[in-house]
Amino acid sequence: MKRILINRIVQFLVILLIASFLLFAVTEFSPGNVAAKILGPYALDSQVRMLTGRLHLDDPLLTRYLRWLATLTGLLPNQLGGDATGLGLTDPRGAQYFGNFGFSLMQGRPIVDVLADRFAHTVTLAVWAIGLTIPISLALGVLAGTTAGSWIDRTITVITVTLTSLPEFVVSVALIFVFSASLGWLPGTSPLAQGDRWSEASQLVLPVAVLVIASSAYVTRIVRSSVVDTLARPFVRTARLKGLSPLRVTFFHVLRNALIAPITVILLQINWILTGVVVVEAIFAYPGIGRLMLEAALFGDLYLIQALTLISLTVAIATQFLGDLAYVLLDPRIRVA
Amino acid sequence: MSKEKVHGYIPDLTGQYRDGRVSRREFIRTATLLGLSAASAYGLAGTIDGIASPAHAQEAKPKGGVLRLETTVYDVKSPAVANTTAHPWIYSQVVEYLTVIGSDNVTRPHLLESWEPSDDLSVWTLRVRDGVTWHSGRAFTADDVIWNLTRLLSDEVGSSMLGLMKGYMLNDVDSGKTDENGKKIITHELWAPNAIEKVDDMTVRLNLKAPQLAVPEHLNHYQAVMLDPAEGGTFDVGSNGTGAFTLTEIEPGRGAVIEAVESYWGEGPYLDKVEFVDLGGGDQAIINALISGQVHGAFQVQPELARILEAQDHLTLYDVTTADTAVSRMRVTEKPFDDPRVRKAFRLAIDPAKACAVAFGPFATPAEHHHVAPIHPEYAKLPEWKQDVEGAKALLAEAGYGDGLEVELTIQQNPPHHLRSATAMQEMLKDAGVTCNINVVPNAQYWDMWTTVPFGTTVWAHRPLGVINLGLAYRSGGAWNESGYSNPEFDRLLTEAEAMPDPEVRRGKMAEIEALMQEDGPIVQTYWRKLLTFYDKKVVGFEMHPTYALFANKLAIRA
Repeated sequence: MKRILINRIVQFLVILLIASFLLFAVTEFSPGNVAAKILGPYALDSQVRMLTGRLHLDDPLLTRYLRWLATLTGLLPNQLGGDATGLGLTDPRGAQYFGNFGFSLMQGRPIVDVLADRFAHTVTLAVWAIGLTIPISLALGVLAGTTAGSWIDRTITVITVTLTSLPEFVVSVALIFVFSASLGWLPGTSPLAQGDRWSEASQLVLPVAVLVIASSAYVTRIVRSSVVDTLARPFVRTARLKGLSPLRVTFFHVLRNALIAPITVILLQINWILTGVVVVEAIFAYPGIGRLMLEAALFGDLYLIQALTLISLTVAIATQFLGDLAYVLLDPRIRVA
Repeated sequence: MSKEKVHGYIPDLTGQYRDGRVSRREFIRTATLLGLSAASAYGLAGTIDGIASPAHAQEAKPKGGVLRLETTVYDVKSPAVANTTAHPWIYSQVVEYLTVIGSDNVTRPHLLESWEPSDDLSVWTLRVRDGVTWHSGRAFTADDVIWNLTRLLSDEVGSSMLGLMKGYMLNDVDSGKTDENGKKIITHELWAPNAIEKVDDMTVRLNLKAPQLAVPEHLNHYQAVMLDPAEGGTFDVGSNGTGAFTLTEIEPGRGAVIEAVESYWGEGPYLDKVEFVDLGGGDQAIINALISGQVHGAFQVQPELARILEAQDHLTLYDVTTADTAVSRMRVTEKPFDDPRVRKAFRLAIDPAKACAVAFGPFATPAEHHHVAPIHPEYAKLPEWKQDVEGAKALLAEAGYGDGLEVELTIQQNPPHHLRSATAMQEMLKDAGVTCNINVVPNAQYWDMWTTVPFGTTVWAHRPLGVINLGLAYRSGGAWNESGYSNPEFDRLLTEAEAMPDPEVRRGKMAEIEALMQEDGPIVQTYWRKLLTFYDKKVVGFEMHPTYALFANKLAIRA
């Protein structure tokens, strides 16, 4: 177990290092000059050239990468703060600290601050969405799996297949139309704005509902399949022949074995909700990581894109790591192997 | 009250208006440009035509309340490099401009009390308004004006004011260095040591390199707010200003809050507070927020969504006719657009009225391929532009493209009307034997290639005078000359027009310029946009402005 953990952590760091360099290489080919974007289309060449120099955007790729890595790990101070760029960039933590991603040129703030706010909102969304998705999909999946072929199973299957097929923006628009535009029960957007007449809780309802619908329909399908497979295995028949009650068979024998496949899917859903809910966040104007990614990409905010991608990678690898760990805990055969 | 000093041309202008040789709009526009106050100009016009000054039906404005408005909230720490018209929504409520262009397209003094151009328009005397104080209590003086203007006109700051005023305030300086492509690196400096001159504590004189009519308009460029020199050119929460509000919170991408200050020198403020809410700029989110009452008004609404909001009882539509447009400009240095016959053929193939209707429905008016709008005071009406497909084919054949021609039109992805407009043009060009492929690129990418792509559609914001855009976009070597157009005859006519205070004479010159643009120019232009938005009916005092400007001090909200 200890060896598995050490291996995974080493792999994790190597992947991050390689990915971070690839990120720099990719941004090298992204269209646009960041200095020109900051100054706008009507700035003269002389002005753009001066700002490019101050932002060190004309340094070689490797130089910029190594400087970024050294700044991130706190070995070098960030060179963009203070009067260096003339853009009024200041960081209350100082120029040198571990985790210094630099400044968002789009927002004019330290990236750490930008990420902290947005990540907190996305985590709130994720906690509610996953917290509701897991019990709903487990209940429906087990019910459908244990009643396979019945009208209950067919009804659940039709509904979940339909909902899985619907893009998130369709579900979002439908919910907004019904609950906001027609009934007026809920707000149509979720900017979590201060002083809004709608409470923050009410602003969370619709985006959480969309995510729960999208996730639980899919996870229910996976749980159902896994339960059906498990029910057909010999040890379940043995348990039944031993005279155990159907509930005991389901919860103590079937569920534990049937959860191995869904756990991977649930962890992927966590990864998706934490880093990739761009459409839902954009439609509801929810100030989370997904919307931030979209804005950073449209603006070409290089340092922010790099930070966000690195965090997305970290979350993706971390959830995989947790998935592996869960496998080991749930299935002793994997531990032995 | 001191008697207004009257420019030498005002009596002639008054005579022309009396004789019906200039329109009322033109009279007021030119009289105010020449330094007459708007109130005096409207009053003088009233003595001739008997029309009372615009009543501005002053609905009693309630005091207090919080207004919530949708807009993209950008980082505004450096107003000098603000690059959208949404940036000043926040900072211009705190720090203000020397002049202000009203919703009626008339420029008025603001932090200035008045301006006086010399008869030849090469010396402008700016008088600072007496009694304006910073929030800190210090008086606003000529030194503040000089510090800000000098700063805005330096290369290091990065303001687009430099491109705007370069022609009459700056000299190019060869740095002696070359860039990676071997091109000379040019920097800039004020053309003379006394270009910006302090006359006394309340008077500044601009001595220009060349006559210029549009100085008051340029002083209202969205970056040209007056910052407190003590703050070094930055702006943030609590910054000192002369405006009706102070910034108390800002988080770019999410929102900002401004709160009323006591004893503002001008009108208002009526509101206690304005909250700006950033919805990510998504049309869907803006519509949802307006319908569910999460915001009282929006920065703008796209025309295709107007019908949805018109059906909402609690909302009111506001729109304004502008000189906001997009031109499909052809790089005259690139084949096939180096041949003026091809450029004219492209114009002849297009029916602007049809293209305009397809793209905007009722929310635009057709243009005439010369980038001077009917709302510009110097606009000259030319014979109606007629689509002539056979004429276009004949010109293309003459230019050696009798068997047809294939080109690529690059457009921005957003807003969607760019694609509708381009598709309409594509279909019309097809009839003339031109295959036009449309290349849609993300907006940010377009601004990297706007001066180099052979055939591209570029947005040009409203500017109050036609000569401003013509000078920026089509003069040889102009700061923003994206088409590379260079025609000595055009340059000569434009320079003459810019030095003419007499609108009647200027209109004659503009007729020549417009005709030259239709014959030889580098653009196909199909529309002038209306800008529109929706506000809650509870909001009092709002007017849609042709450059989206917001005057929060004039707004109030009913309970």
